[in-house]
Amino acid sequence: MNTLLIDMQSLGFSFSPGGKVLFRDLSLQVTEGEFLLIRGASGSGKSTLLRILCRLQSYRQGTILFHGKPIESYPPSLLRNRMLYTTQLPAMTDATVRDNLLFPFSFEVNSGKKHPGEDQLRKMLQDFYLDDVSPDQHATVLSVGQQQRVALMRALLQRPEVLLLDEPTSALDAQSATMVQRIIERLNQEQGMTIMMVTHSDYIPQGMAPKICTLENGKLEVT
Amino acid sequence: MNPPIEITLWQLLFGLLFILVAQVTSFIQHLGLNRDITIGTIRTFAQLFLMGYVLTFIFRAENQWLTLAVFLVMIVSAVFIIRGRVKEKSIPYILPTFATMFASYLGTAFFVSAVVVSVDPWWDPRYFLPLGGMVIGNSMSALAIAIERLFNELRQQRNLVETRLCLGANYREASAEMLRTAISSGMIPSINAMMGVGLVFIPGMMAGQILAGTDPLQAIRYQIAIMMMLVGSTAMTSFVTITIVRKRCFGRGEELLLVPGLTSPAQKK
Repeated sequence: MNTLLIDMQSLGFSFSPGGKVLFRDLSLQVTEGEFLLIRGASGSGKSTLLRILCRLQSYRQGTILFHGKPIESYPPSLLRNRMLYTTQLPAMTDATVRDNLLFPFSFEVNSGKKHPGEDQLRKMLQDFYLDDVSPDQHATVLSVGQQQRVALMRALLQRPEVLLLDEPTSALDAQSATMVQRIIERLNQEQGMTIMMVTHSDYIPQGMAPKICTLENGKLEVT
Repeated sequence: MNPPIEITLWQLLFGLLFILVAQVTSFIQHLGLNRDITIGTIRTFAQLFLMGYVLTFIFRAENQWLTLAVFLVMIVSAVFIIRGRVKEKSIPYILPTFATMFASYLGTAFFVSAVVVSVDPWWDPRYFLPLGGMVIGNSMSALAIAIERLFNELRQQRNLVETRLCLGANYREASAEMLRTAISSGMIPSINAMMGVGLVFIPGMMAGQILAGTDPLQAIRYQIAIMMMLVGSTAMTSFVTITIVRKRCFGRGEELLLVPGLTSPAQKK
């Protein structure tokens, strides 16, 4: 049986005290290697749920355990490094693709990690359908779809345990979206990476039976 | 040296012609500033006359605690002015700003008064209050610019800050250049002032001393001390205040608390 990674118990959340309740008594369990799709209408709180998990948003009620310990017991930077969240359009700094891929290694929490070599970077670019992109190229001139793939590469270089993906294909054209989806599927199938992905489309990963949850009226229903 | 030429109250009223020019400009161009110009003019007269009487009283009293009390009132007023200029209301920055301003300005004014000018006693209100007032006035503007800039930078670059946080940065690493930008934006005016002083403009204090009959070679020494004091106190106050305020922009989970485009907790969503 797979290990329980995330255990969310009776989560309650509203943006301000006395404000509209976004989550009411919400519970969710995620096991190691699982592919979880979270669906729901705009404004239902899908992104907020991922942001709460990696502590980009604080919550007021309930408990969230990661490896059996409250997420608050981890140093925030360490928690986010292990449970890595990527936004819809991750930011690229005004620098080369290489610099964008490597800048997280300058952070204190990553100081002990081994920098990827040039060969590894070029191999990864190929694996991410970025054959025509050079590490020396300026990242901000890449298309949105290419930037999204560079951002995914950057996230994976940190070797997270869980990848929290916030509508990674929503701003992409059909071709780029398919490429990103294939990469995500491969990560789960070949590397066994746990993935929680928010989407408002009907996307279903190929050849898999993901757990699909729907957020509606502050409740999460597994379908 | 001749004593300064006295300005009578009637002569002072001639100065109102300049205000009339400003009012007419505002009226013709529909700037909507007529009310502010009127209130500003009345306040200038009232506040400076009041200050004149208060300073006369304090200079005669020669009391250390009274001098420090006036100094405190000046700092509190500066904090309120900063609060009025900075739009952000969801981050509690007033208390650290006040504490830093008080410690920094008191230290700077003391050093210049006691060491550079060698006033005895160091708190002599005739020196301590004008020197302190100049520090507070200049540094207040720098702080308001720096604080506002920090909030703007963090709001506008929220995606970059959060991307870094998600990749394992702590709040200091995620917002390092926003901090630098904020501090330097506050310091640039006083550095520019050092570049232009004596070439582009004659500073207010030096002009005042020269008008009062002081030897220009003596007046410039005061002015040089003042310029250095302003740059130092602005750098120190901006650095400490912005460092503390930046910490307050992040929550216990090092999450960014500022929300794009919103400025008050009631609107926060």
